[in-house]
Amino acid sequence: MEPDVSIETGSMIRIAVLPVGGAIPHPQLRSYVAMLGRHTRIDLSSISSFYSEHQKSPFTHQPWETGSIRFKFMLGGATASPWEDFQSCRKILAVIGLCHCPVSPDLDLVADQFTTACKAYQHALATRCFAFCPSDSQLEDGDNKRENIILFPPSDQKTQEFHMLTMMQDLAASLLMQFEKWVLRAESSGTIVKTPLDSQSSLGSEEFIKAKKRKLARAQKTIGDFCLLAGSPVDANAHYSTAIELARLTGDVFWHAGALEGSVCAILLDRMDHKDPVLEDEVKFRYYNVIQLYRRSYLQDNAQRVSTVSFELEAALKLARYLCRRELAKEVVELLMSAADGAKSLIDASDRLILYVEIARLFGSLGYQRKAAFFSRQVAQLYLQQDNACAAISAMQVLTMTSNAYHVQSKRSSQKISLSPQEFGVGHADGGKTHPLSIVSLFESQWSTIQMVVLREILMSSVRAGDPLAAWSAGARLLRSFYPLITPAGQSGLASSLSNSAERLPSGTRCADPALPFIRLHSFPLHPSQTDIIKRNSQKREWWAGSAPSGPFIYTPFSKGVVADSTKQELTWIVGEPVQVLVELANPCSFDLMVESIYLSAHSGNFDAFPVRVSLPPNTSKVIALSGIPTKVGAVSIPGCIVHCFGVITEHLFRDVDNLLLGAAQGLVLSDPFRSCGSTKPKNVTIPNISVVPPLPLLVSHVVGGNGSTIVYEGEIRDIWISLTNAGTVPIEQAHIGLSGKNQDSVISIAHDVLLSALPLKPGGEVTIPVALKAWQLSLADSEFDASKNPSGNARRISREGSSPLLVIYYAGPSTNSNNSNDTGNSVPPGRRLVVPLNVSVLQGLRFVRARLLSMEFPARVSEALPKQINGEKVTTDEMSAVNRNDSLVRIDPYKGSWELRLLELELSNPTDVVFEVNVSVQLESQQSEHGMPIFSNEGIDFGYRKTRIDRDYSARVLIPLEHFKLPVLDASFFSKDTQFNNGLGDAVSSTAERNVKAELNSSINNLISKIKVTWHSGRNSSGELNIKDATQTALQASVMDILLPDPLTFGFRLATNGRESTTSGNSPGQSVGNIARAKGFISAHEMTHMEIIIRNNTRERIRMSLSVSCRDVAGENCIEGTNATVLWAGILSDIYLEALPLQEVTHSFALYFLVPGEYTLLAAAVINDATDVLRVRAKSISSDEPIFCRGSPFHVHVIGTA
Amino acid sequence: MASTACFIIVSRNDIPIYEAEVGSAAKKEEAAQQHQFILHAALDIVEDLAWTTGAMFLKSVDKFNDLVVSVYVTAGHTRFMLLHDSRNEDGIKSFFQEVQELYIKILLNPLYLPGSRITSSHFDTKVRALARKYL
Repeated sequence: MEPDVSIETGSMIRIAVLPVGGAIPHPQLRSYVAMLGRHTRIDLSSISSFYSEHQKSPFTHQPWETGSIRFKFMLGGATASPWEDFQSCRKILAVIGLCHCPVSPDLDLVADQFTTACKAYQHALATRCFAFCPSDSQLEDGDNKRENIILFPPSDQKTQEFHMLTMMQDLAASLLMQFEKWVLRAESSGTIVKTPLDSQSSLGSEEFIKAKKRKLARAQKTIGDFCLLAGSPVDANAHYSTAIELARLTGDVFWHAGALEGSVCAILLDRMDHKDPVLEDEVKFRYYNVIQLYRRSYLQDNAQRVSTVSFELEAALKLARYLCRRELAKEVVELLMSAADGAKSLIDASDRLILYVEIARLFGSLGYQRKAAFFSRQVAQLYLQQDNACAAISAMQVLTMTSNAYHVQSKRSSQKISLSPQEFGVGHADGGKTHPLSIVSLFESQWSTIQMVVLREILMSSVRAGDPLAAWSAGARLLRSFYPLITPAGQSGLASSLSNSAERLPSGTRCADPALPFIRLHSFPLHPSQTDIIKRNSQKREWWAGSAPSGPFIYTPFSKGVVADSTKQELTWIVGEPVQVLVELANPCSFDLMVESIYLSAHSGNFDAFPVRVSLPPNTSKVIALSGIPTKVGAVSIPGCIVHCFGVITEHLFRDVDNLLLGAAQGLVLSDPFRSCGSTKPKNVTIPNISVVPPLPLLVSHVVGGNGSTIVYEGEIRDIWISLTNAGTVPIEQAHIGLSGKNQDSVISIAHDVLLSALPLKPGGEVTIPVALKAWQLSLADSEFDASKNPSGNARRISREGSSPLLVIYYAGPSTNSNNSNDTGNSVPPGRRLVVPLNVSVLQGLRFVRARLLSMEFPARVSEALPKQINGEKVTTDEMSAVNRNDSLVRIDPYKGSWELRLLELELSNPTDVVFEVNVSVQLESQQSEHGMPIFSNEGIDFGYRKTRIDRDYSARVLIPLEHFKLPVLDASFFSKDTQFNNGLGDAVSSTAERNVKAELNSSINNLISKIKVTWHSGRNSSGELNIKDATQTALQASVMDILLPDPLTFGFRLATNGRESTTSGNSPGQSVGNIARAKGFISAHEMTHMEIIIRNNTRERIRMSLSVSCRDVAGENCIEGTNATVLWAGILSDIYLEALPLQEVTHSFALYFLVPGEYTLLAAAVINDATDVLRVRAKSISSDEPIFCRGSPFHVHVIGTA
Repeated sequence: MASTACFIIVSRNDIPIYEAEVGSAAKKEEAAQQHQFILHAALDIVEDLAWTTGAMFLKSVDKFNDLVVSVYVTAGHTRFMLLHDSRNEDGIKSFFQEVQELYIKILLNPLYLPGSRITSSHFDTKVRALARKYL
């Protein structure tokens, strides 16, 4: 069989093209052959000048105007076919030698060589030897001696081509003349033309007769062939018709078919230009006949020796090629399928090869790519059966051609086939909800089994063909696309074949097809807080204002409306500052993957990427940071990574993996390489628009004394020094420090002025700013238990990470950039933001357990003991020494006249492992009452209570007296509001007033509480303050009224006997106490004791009252009245009518006579007549007609016996 | 039952969504691959043929050596392709029709994305049973 056959093949003159002389360099040979190849068709009209009619031409109907002679160049010659007598077109009818003169200086030698070469072609009717590029000397002596060498003088291409044309026309003319000669001779002589089909042995007599009969038909057919070659189809047709008739008569089926085939060729040649359906039907009809006849000529007996099947198949192919159009696809397919079936009966393997090649080509031109690929693969398999490198190369090439149909093509050849989801108009933008069908279409024609086989075959053939790059590429495609279908052993085998291929490649070879690992974009780390970029508005002085970090919320309703089209993220990089991109690598295979280097690929050319070396264990994925430095201002695009793995450099595009993952999510692809490696769900990361801006200043901070977190106890006050350095290349001209994050109020002060005075901060400049910090109180929400470090075992709380406040520093370089003045005016280089977390780790310090308000009314007995204890420890101040003598923890309330004591008891525990010392101080500012009257004379005193030491894991109670907080006057103006507040439940009081009252009350409580300070010290340098406000407030809430407000009346008893009448007034508490203390020793039984009761009115109104005094013994019995009264009295003791002026005292004298020595208690009580509202409220009376009863504190009287 | 038979369902996007070797002959991997190649190649012819006829069952559309490809095209242009060496056309037709009913049941599954692989083992069992019955 012959390749590339068509119906017109019968009209082509075969010319062997042989290179002669020295080896011609490939480019030259190629160009010579190309020059020759342009002249496959020589018009008869153009050769008439070379043609001379020697005798009457047998081609009587030669179409000199329209006809043409066709050449078919057989490069390198061809061996003679046994069938060449049957079809003259198979004969080599001319030989052309090609000679490159520079490599073959001796033209004689060339001539000899050519002559020898021509001898192999016995049917050659014309020979020519073209010698190109001859030297001058060759030109000189060449012409005259050798006619058969034609020298092409060196000239330009056009001239040479013209020269060639002339030569070919000459050749065509001489061939035509030879044909005429041949035909004339053939008509006269009577040689029998035989085919291998006829028996080759000596002809028997009857066979000889039969052959003689057939001779005429065969001769006519051969003449017809030559007419066809000579370009005269009409003549040919006439001869063929005769031959057909004769062959039919003689039953020479084979030659009948041959003649019929020739006649179809003649018809087609004759009616070259108009293809009409009638002609087509005629051709079809005749050709089906031809095929039929060939099939009939198949003789079973000599089928082993020679077979006509190839002619049948060729005829089928010829017809198929003729009909090869979409409309006739069905017919063509049938022809081709039957031809394919015929392959079984072909003996020669190369015939089968040719058949499959032709079938594949025809299917290909029909548009049946998959069919073509199928037969191409058959071809490749036939090639692979031959065991030589050339066949392997052919197999590889053929398989490579099929790779498109099987969708396993190399990326190099299919740049536009790989679609991105964006091209479907559905990006990640709409929440990753790509339309499922469009995803499906991404993975069209994924026949994994077939694809794997094809790739494996490509790999095998390219290994055999010695093409390492093709082998690598096929191996890479196989491994990357089909790793889930390959056994672990197979995967390792592929990996080693990749490495083997790479060994034969020069280092640094690039391949378009990526292998492993799979790489997807993980994230673009936004600017670390160190290097935030803030757009700067040149008009605004505080350009940072709008851009404050929005705290924990992503969306704040107060921020300006963001641009609606936020689908595409914007990213700004700065020239010269390294950036990082996180990518995730996955190695889903079962071998260790060593990535020699991986770096970002940037096609924009303004980015220097740093390679990284990664090793991926089997079935793992890894997130790595790839870094680089932008080098020039402009846009940067990062479509993927460049990977050097398995010895070859490849580019891995993120987009491809994204598509793969999309498919995997829908179950269209075998497996998701990342999920199989245990990685998390894919994130949809869009590649942002990255732009590079000119250099900006860069502030770098570190905490002086180490960047570790500072450990402080709750409430501790500490200075932190922060050093700021400009690490950029641009000076900092503006800077502003702000606060952000949690626990902002724990920062007490920041030295703004230090920073401002350091501006402008030159590159490399450094400034250190102190920040004073008071550790915040740990709450349950933002603390965690740290059980590990504590030796004592019980967990202690430390502040959770991230609860520290952040220092936010905005800074910017010069606002006008002198370099790019040509830019548009609005280009103010952006400022930046540096966020310095104040790394404070707050440890739980002293723990406040609870606060209680202790209220006591001590009898006098207590007064004996307690003042003594405390008196010794008090801290005296000079100015107040006299008063302070008694100004200790327990003393007599000047207004109550008794040992009324209210203490705030704080229970503190120390869960830490250090010792704390607690110091309570009550700071009383110099407080003037609103009436201009000094309240207490002990303002500003810091009560020097003893420091309480609390050991680790112990608790302690600290008592704080609450006595100094009484208001001096039960004031209506103050109290009137309170009245409203109290009655507010029923009354229609406006809510604002009510709120005012509450606020006032609260503020007074706060005022009280804020005076109490509990400070602590621990170790050498830890000190702070305990925050007890809340606790105190709750403790005091209930009884704050009682603490703050004095009773309307205070009662005091005084001895007035023996001329020791005290002259001091009741508003000196010390004196009263003194009196009482003194009184003890002097009261004896059986003695008239003169006493005075002093009643002070603490209100601003006149109070009328009826007073009564009672005396009780230790048993609580009234010992004045009753049957067995033990005390006699003089004066009035009950229902004494008295009237006290506002803020004045009244005195009432009486005398007592104690019959029995012992302890007595004196009690004064008064019923206030015509009580005002203020008093009623104070007394918390319910109804207005209820008597207001005011009782004094009891006074103890110690009566000693006389004996 | 046919000695060699390979059944494949090809989605409208030309992806094989179900494949089964249903022949009684010993299974060989190379043969199975070859079957797929033949069926894949036949798609071109099916593509043309499907639009020339209203029938769903296209009978045998292609052959290679002694293997014949019979095709059934559903209304959704999903192609059932059977590679076989027997000539029992009626049985093949019944096979295809019953498989289509199974396929429709698969399609009715709201969790099944049309055009993706059929992984139901129930479907597989049923198809093989049908193959034993009709081929």
